[in-house]
Amino acid sequence: MKGSFVGKAKGGKLLRLSLEAEGGVVKAVGVRGDFFAHPEELFDELEASLVGCPVDELGARFGAGAAALGLTVYGLLPEDLDAAAAAIRASNAGE
Amino acid sequence: MRLRFIETGYSSAAFNMGLDEGILNAVAEGRSGPTLRFYAWRPRAVSIGYFQGLEEEVDEAACRSRGVDVVRRVTGGGAVYHADELTYSVVAPEGHPLAAGSILDSYRLLCGGVVEGLKGLGIDAAFAPINDVVADGRKLSGNAQTRKRGCLLQHGTVLLGVDVDEMFALLKVPNEKLKGKLIEDVKARVGSISNSLGRPFGYADALPAFKAGFAKALGAELEDGEPSPAELDDARRLAAEKFGDRTWTAKR
Repeated sequence: MKGSFVGKAKGGKLLRLSLEAEGGVVKAVGVRGDFFAHPEELFDELEASLVGCPVDELGARFGAGAAALGLTVYGLLPEDLDAAAAAIRASNAGE
Repeated sequence: MRLRFIETGYSSAAFNMGLDEGILNAVAEGRSGPTLRFYAWRPRAVSIGYFQGLEEEVDEAACRSRGVDVVRRVTGGGAVYHADELTYSVVAPEGHPLAAGSILDSYRLLCGGVVEGLKGLGIDAAFAPINDVVADGRKLSGNAQTRKRGCLLQHGTVLLGVDVDEMFALLKVPNEKLKGKLIEDVKARVGSISNSLGRPFGYADALPAFKAGFAKALGAELEDGEPSPAELDDARRLAAEKFGDRTWTAKR
Protein backbone atom coordinates (compact mmCIF):
# COMPACT_ATOMS: atom_id res chain seq x y z
CA MET A 1 0.00 0.00 0.00
CA LYS A 2 1.04 3.55 -0.65
CA GLY A 3 -0.60 6.86 0.06
CA SER A 4 -0.88 9.93 2.21
CA PHE A 5 -3.19 11.30 4.83
CA VAL A 6 -3.88 14.91 5.78
CA GLY A 7 -6.08 15.71 8.71
CA LYS A 8 -6.38 17.16 12.16
CA ALA A 9 -4.69 14.93 14.72
CA LYS A 10 -6.44 14.05 17.97
CA GLY A 11 -3.40 15.64 19.56
CA GLY A 12 -4.67 18.94 18.16
CA LYS A 13 -2.39 19.82 15.26
CA LEU A 14 -2.40 19.01 11.55
CA LEU A 15 -0.82 15.67 10.60
CA ARG A 16 0.43 14.79 7.13
CA LEU A 17 1.46 11.15 6.95
CA SER A 18 3.05 9.65 3.84
CA LEU A 19 3.30 5.89 3.99
CA GLU A 20 4.55 3.13 1.75
CA ALA A 21 4.27 -0.48 2.94
CA GLU A 22 4.78 -3.95 1.53
CA GLY A 23 3.49 -7.12 3.19
CA GLY A 24 2.35 -5.09 6.18
CA VAL A 25 5.83 -3.66 6.78
CA VAL A 26 6.73 0.04 6.47
CA LYS A 27 9.07 0.73 3.54
CA ALA A 28 8.98 4.54 3.68
CA VAL A 29 7.30 6.98 6.02
CA GLY A 30 7.07 10.74 6.44
CA VAL A 31 5.48 12.40 9.46
CA ARG A 32 4.93 16.10 8.84
CA GLY A 33 2.70 18.83 10.19
CA ASP A 34 2.45 21.80 12.52
CA PHE A 35 2.97 19.87 15.75
CA PHE A 36 5.87 20.42 18.16
CA ALA A 37 8.59 18.03 19.25
CA HIS A 38 11.94 18.61 20.83
CA PRO A 39 14.81 17.99 20.50
CA GLU A 40 13.72 18.43 16.87
CA GLU A 41 16.67 16.57 15.34
CA LEU A 42 15.79 13.42 17.28
CA PHE A 43 12.37 13.42 15.65
CA ASP A 44 14.14 12.90 12.30
CA GLU A 45 15.84 9.87 13.87
CA LEU A 46 12.55 8.55 15.27
CA GLU A 47 10.86 8.93 11.88
CA ALA A 48 13.67 7.00 10.16
CA SER A 49 13.46 4.24 12.80
CA LEU A 50 9.86 3.50 11.78
CA VAL A 51 11.05 1.96 8.50
CA GLY A 52 10.84 -1.82 8.86
CA CYS A 53 8.15 -1.68 11.53
CA PRO A 54 4.82 -3.51 11.01
CA VAL A 55 2.18 -0.99 9.87
CA ASP A 56 -0.09 -2.25 12.65
CA GLU A 57 2.49 -1.20 15.24
CA LEU A 58 3.23 2.26 13.81
CA GLY A 59 1.72 4.23 16.70
CA ALA A 60 3.15 1.94 19.38
CA ARG A 61 6.64 2.11 17.83
CA PHE A 62 6.39 5.89 17.52
CA GLY A 63 5.37 6.27 21.17
CA ALA A 64 8.01 3.88 22.48
CA GLY A 65 10.69 5.42 20.24
CA ALA A 66 9.85 8.94 21.39
CA ALA A 67 10.09 7.85 25.03
CA ALA A 68 13.38 6.01 24.45
CA LEU A 69 14.92 9.04 22.72
CA GLY A 70 13.67 11.48 25.36
CA LEU A 71 11.52 13.36 22.85
CA THR A 72 8.72 15.63 24.03
CA VAL A 73 5.91 15.72 21.45
CA TYR A 74 3.03 18.23 21.54
CA GLY A 75 -0.06 18.24 19.33
CA LEU A 76 0.38 14.71 17.96
CA LEU A 77 -0.46 11.39 19.65
CA PRO A 78 0.81 7.89 18.75
CA GLU A 79 -2.78 6.83 17.96
CA ASP A 80 -2.98 9.61 15.35
CA LEU A 81 -0.43 7.68 13.29
CA ASP A 82 -2.53 4.51 13.52
CA ALA A 83 -5.69 6.37 12.48
CA ALA A 84 -3.85 7.96 9.53
CA ALA A 85 -2.38 4.59 8.48
CA ALA A 86 -5.85 3.02 8.68
CA ALA A 87 -7.25 5.79 6.46
CA ILE A 88 -4.49 5.19 3.90
CA ARG A 89 -5.15 1.44 3.99
CA ALA A 90 -8.89 2.02 3.50
CA SER A 91 -8.32 4.32 0.52
CA ASN A 92 -5.96 1.72 -1.00
CA ALA A 93 -8.55 -1.03 -0.52
CA GLY A 94 -11.16 1.11 -2.22
CA GLU A 95 -9.07 1.60 -5.35
CA MET B 1 14.98 39.45 37.62
CA ARG B 2 17.16 41.09 34.99
CA LEU B 3 16.79 40.45 31.32
CA ARG B 4 18.87 41.80 28.45
CA PHE B 5 16.64 43.59 25.94
CA ILE B 6 17.71 43.97 22.32
CA GLU B 7 15.80 45.46 19.45
CA THR B 8 17.23 44.63 16.04
CA GLY B 9 14.69 46.22 13.68
CA TYR B 10 14.05 44.84 10.20
CA SER B 11 16.21 42.02 8.78
CA SER B 12 16.03 39.15 6.31
CA ALA B 13 14.41 35.88 7.33
CA ALA B 14 17.70 33.97 7.31
CA PHE B 15 19.40 36.57 9.52
CA ASN B 16 16.45 36.77 11.90
CA MET B 17 16.46 33.01 12.46
CA GLY B 18 20.27 33.02 12.58
CA LEU B 19 20.32 35.63 15.34
CA ASP B 20 17.76 33.76 17.47
CA GLU B 21 20.02 30.70 17.24
CA GLY B 22 23.16 32.80 17.74
CA ILE B 23 21.71 34.19 20.98
CA LEU B 24 20.75 30.68 22.05
CA ASN B 25 24.32 29.51 21.43
CA ALA B 26 25.69 32.42 23.46
CA VAL B 27 23.31 31.83 26.38
CA ALA B 28 24.01 28.06 26.27
CA GLU B 29 27.74 28.75 26.50
CA GLY B 30 27.36 31.33 29.26
CA ARG B 31 28.59 34.17 27.03
CA SER B 32 25.29 36.05 27.27
CA GLY B 33 22.55 36.30 29.87
CA PRO B 34 18.84 35.62 29.42
CA THR B 35 17.57 37.78 26.57
CA LEU B 36 14.41 39.28 25.15
CA ARG B 37 14.68 40.38 21.52
CA PHE B 38 12.19 42.33 19.36
CA TYR B 39 12.50 42.30 15.58
CA ALA B 40 10.74 42.56 12.23
CA TRP B 41 11.08 41.24 8.70
CA ARG B 42 12.31 42.92 5.51
CA PRO B 43 11.73 41.60 2.94
CA ARG B 44 8.43 40.10 4.03
CA ALA B 45 8.78 36.39 4.72
CA VAL B 46 7.08 33.06 5.17
CA SER B 47 8.46 30.81 7.90
CA ILE B 48 7.52 27.17 8.20
CA GLY B 49 7.70 24.92 11.24
CA TYR B 50 10.55 22.44 11.59
CA PHE B 51 8.26 19.46 10.84
CA GLN B 52 6.43 20.90 7.86
CA GLY B 53 7.02 19.95 4.25
CA LEU B 54 8.23 22.93 2.19
CA GLU B 55 6.52 22.00 -1.07
CA GLU B 56 3.17 21.19 0.47
CA GLU B 57 3.01 24.35 2.60
CA VAL B 58 4.56 27.10 0.48
CA ASP B 59 3.98 28.35 -3.06
CA GLU B 60 7.63 29.11 -3.69
CA ALA B 61 7.05 30.58 -7.14
CA ALA B 62 4.55 33.06 -5.70
CA CYS B 63 7.01 33.97 -2.92
CA ARG B 64 9.80 34.52 -5.44
CA SER B 65 7.70 36.68 -7.75
CA ARG B 66 6.45 38.78 -4.84
CA GLY B 67 9.90 39.13 -3.24
CA VAL B 68 8.99 37.18 -0.12
CA ASP B 69 11.71 35.23 1.79
CA VAL B 70 11.07 31.62 2.77
CA VAL B 71 12.75 30.10 5.83
CA ARG B 72 12.44 26.96 7.95
CA ARG B 73 12.41 27.58 11.70
CA VAL B 74 14.20 25.49 14.33
CA THR B 75 10.86 25.38 16.16
CA GLY B 76 7.75 23.37 15.36
CA GLY B 77 4.35 24.83 14.66
CA GLY B 78 2.74 26.09 11.48
CA ALA B 79 3.52 28.29 8.50
CA VAL B 80 3.52 32.02 9.26
CA TYR B 81 3.37 34.98 6.91
CA HIS B 82 5.56 37.72 8.43
CA ALA B 83 4.67 41.17 7.17
CA ASP B 84 3.04 43.72 9.44
CA GLU B 85 4.09 42.36 12.80
CA LEU B 86 6.31 42.60 15.82
CA THR B 87 8.27 39.42 16.45
CA TYR B 88 9.90 38.59 19.78
CA SER B 89 12.22 35.90 21.00
CA VAL B 90 13.12 34.87 24.53
CA VAL B 91 16.18 32.77 25.39
CA ALA B 92 16.89 31.57 28.93
CA PRO B 93 18.80 28.65 30.47
CA GLU B 94 16.56 25.79 31.57
CA GLY B 95 17.31 26.45 35.26
CA HIS B 96 16.05 30.02 34.94
CA PRO B 97 12.60 31.00 36.35
CA LEU B 98 11.44 31.88 32.80
CA ALA B 99 11.94 28.25 31.78
CA ALA B 100 10.43 26.71 34.91
CA GLY B 101 7.68 24.11 34.90
CA SER B 102 6.16 22.27 31.97
CA ILE B 103 6.23 23.44 28.37
CA LEU B 104 2.67 24.66 28.79
CA ASP B 105 3.64 26.59 31.95
CA SER B 106 6.40 28.42 30.14
CA TYR B 107 4.21 29.07 27.09
CA ARG B 108 1.67 30.63 29.42
CA LEU B 109 4.27 32.72 31.24
CA LEU B 110 6.04 34.00 28.12
CA CYS B 111 2.86 34.55 26.09
CA GLY B 112 1.88 36.66 29.08
CA GLY B 113 4.21 39.32 27.67
CA VAL B 114 2.04 39.51 24.56
CA VAL B 115 -1.18 39.42 26.63
CA GLU B 116 -0.01 42.25 28.90
CA GLY B 117 1.18 44.31 25.95
CA LEU B 118 -2.24 44.00 24.35
CA LYS B 119 -4.02 44.79 27.61
CA GLY B 120 -1.92 47.93 27.92
CA LEU B 121 -3.40 49.00 24.58
CA GLY B 122 -6.91 48.35 25.88
CA ILE B 123 -7.30 45.01 24.06
CA ASP B 124 -8.70 42.30 26.31
CA ALA B 125 -6.47 39.39 25.30
CA ALA B 126 -5.91 35.94 26.79
CA PHE B 127 -3.55 32.99 26.35
CA ALA B 128 -5.15 30.18 24.32
CA PRO B 129 -3.28 26.87 24.82
CA ILE B 130 -1.16 25.44 23.36
CA ASN B 131 0.50 28.41 21.71
CA ASP B 132 -1.83 31.27 20.74
CA VAL B 133 -3.02 34.58 22.14
CA VAL B 134 -6.57 35.61 21.25
CA ALA B 135 -8.81 38.62 21.78
CA ASP B 136 -12.51 38.74 21.05
CA GLY B 137 -12.32 35.26 19.47
CA ARG B 138 -9.55 36.24 17.07
CA LYS B 139 -5.94 35.08 17.08
CA LEU B 140 -3.53 38.00 17.41
CA SER B 141 -0.34 36.09 18.18
CA GLY B 142 1.23 32.71 17.41
CA ASN B 143 4.16 31.37 19.39
CA ALA B 144 6.62 28.48 19.15
CA GLN B 145 8.97 27.09 21.76
CA THR B 146 11.82 24.63 21.85
CA ARG B 147 14.47 23.47 24.29
CA LYS B 148 17.95 23.12 22.92
CA ARG B 149 21.45 22.95 24.38
CA GLY B 150 20.03 23.33 27.88
CA CYS B 151 18.12 26.50 26.96
CA LEU B 152 14.59 27.54 26.25
CA LEU B 153 13.95 29.45 23.02
CA GLN B 154 10.51 30.84 22.37
CA HIS B 155 9.69 33.12 19.49
CA GLY B 156 6.35 34.49 18.48
CA THR B 157 4.52 37.08 16.44
CA VAL B 158 2.17 39.89 17.30
CA LEU B 159 -0.05 40.80 14.36
CA LEU B 160 -0.11 44.56 13.84
CA GLY B 161 -2.01 44.26 10.57
CA VAL B 162 -3.25 41.27 8.62
CA ASP B 163 -3.75 40.52 4.92
CA VAL B 164 -5.34 37.08 4.66
CA ASP B 165 -5.64 37.17 0.86
CA GLU B 166 -1.91 37.86 0.48
CA MET B 167 -1.15 35.11 3.01
CA PHE B 168 -3.11 32.57 0.98
CA ALA B 169 -1.42 33.70 -2.23
CA LEU B 170 1.86 32.54 -0.63
CA LEU B 171 0.78 29.47 1.32
CA LYS B 172 -0.74 26.25 0.04
CA VAL B 173 -3.81 24.69 1.65
CA PRO B 174 -4.44 20.97 2.28
CA ASN B 175 -7.53 20.94 0.07
CA GLU B 176 -7.62 23.32 -2.90
CA LYS B 177 -11.36 22.76 -3.36
CA LEU B 178 -12.05 24.13 0.11
CA LYS B 179 -9.67 27.08 -0.23
CA GLY B 180 -12.43 29.69 -0.53
CA LYS B 181 -14.10 28.50 2.66
CA LEU B 182 -10.79 28.25 4.47
CA ILE B 183 -9.92 31.85 3.59
CA GLU B 184 -13.29 33.00 4.96
CA ASP B 185 -12.70 30.96 8.16
CA VAL B 186 -9.26 32.47 8.65
CA LYS B 187 -10.59 35.98 8.04
CA ALA B 188 -13.09 35.36 10.83
CA ARG B 189 -10.54 33.83 13.22
CA VAL B 190 -7.45 36.02 12.76
CA GLY B 191 -7.26 39.63 13.84
CA SER B 192 -4.69 42.38 14.27
CA ILE B 193 -4.00 45.26 16.60
CA SER B 194 -4.81 47.78 13.86
CA ASN B 195 -8.22 46.16 13.39
CA SER B 196 -8.87 46.01 17.14
CA LEU B 197 -7.93 49.64 17.67
CA GLY B 198 -9.55 50.89 14.48
CA ARG B 199 -6.41 52.81 13.50
CA PRO B 200 -3.05 52.02 11.92
CA PHE B 201 -0.65 50.64 14.52
CA GLY B 202 2.91 50.02 13.36
CA TYR B 203 6.14 48.45 14.58
CA ALA B 204 7.42 51.68 16.18
CA ASP B 205 4.11 52.01 18.09
CA ALA B 206 4.34 48.40 19.21
CA LEU B 207 7.87 48.56 20.66
CA PRO B 208 7.15 50.50 23.87
CA ALA B 209 3.79 48.78 24.38
CA PHE B 210 5.24 45.27 24.29
CA LYS B 211 8.44 46.19 26.09
CA ALA B 212 6.22 47.28 29.00
CA GLY B 213 4.02 44.18 28.57
CA PHE B 214 6.94 41.74 28.78
CA ALA B 215 8.52 43.57 31.73
CA LYS B 216 5.24 43.33 33.63
CA ALA B 217 4.35 39.75 32.74
CA LEU B 218 7.82 38.37 33.39
CA GLY B 219 8.47 40.52 36.44
CA ALA B 220 11.69 41.54 34.74
CA GLU B 221 13.86 44.59 34.69
CA LEU B 222 14.79 45.02 31.03
CA GLU B 223 18.32 46.24 30.42
CA ASP B 224 18.81 47.78 27.00
CA GLY B 225 21.64 46.07 25.15
CA GLU B 226 22.95 45.04 21.79
CA PRO B 227 23.74 41.68 20.24
CA SER B 228 27.41 40.93 20.94
CA PRO B 229 29.89 40.83 18.03
CA ALA B 230 30.11 37.05 18.52
CA GLU B 231 26.33 36.68 18.35
CA LEU B 232 26.23 38.75 15.17
CA ASP B 233 29.04 36.71 13.60
CA ASP B 234 27.21 33.53 14.53
CA ALA B 235 23.96 34.91 13.11
CA ARG B 236 25.61 35.80 9.78
CA ARG B 237 27.26 32.39 9.57
CA LEU B 238 23.98 30.60 10.33
CA ALA B 239 22.11 32.82 7.87
CA ALA B 240 24.55 31.86 5.11
CA GLU B 241 25.21 28.22 5.93
CA LYS B 242 21.92 27.08 7.43
CA PHE B 243 18.82 29.24 7.17
CA GLY B 244 19.66 30.62 3.73
CA ASP B 245 20.66 27.20 2.41
CA ARG B 246 18.21 25.05 0.49
CA THR B 247 19.46 21.88 2.22
CA TRP B 248 17.87 23.20 5.39
CA THR B 249 14.84 24.93 3.91
CA ALA B 250 13.81 21.89 1.82
CA LYS B 251 14.87 19.22 4.34
CA ARG B 252 11.25 18.08 4.65
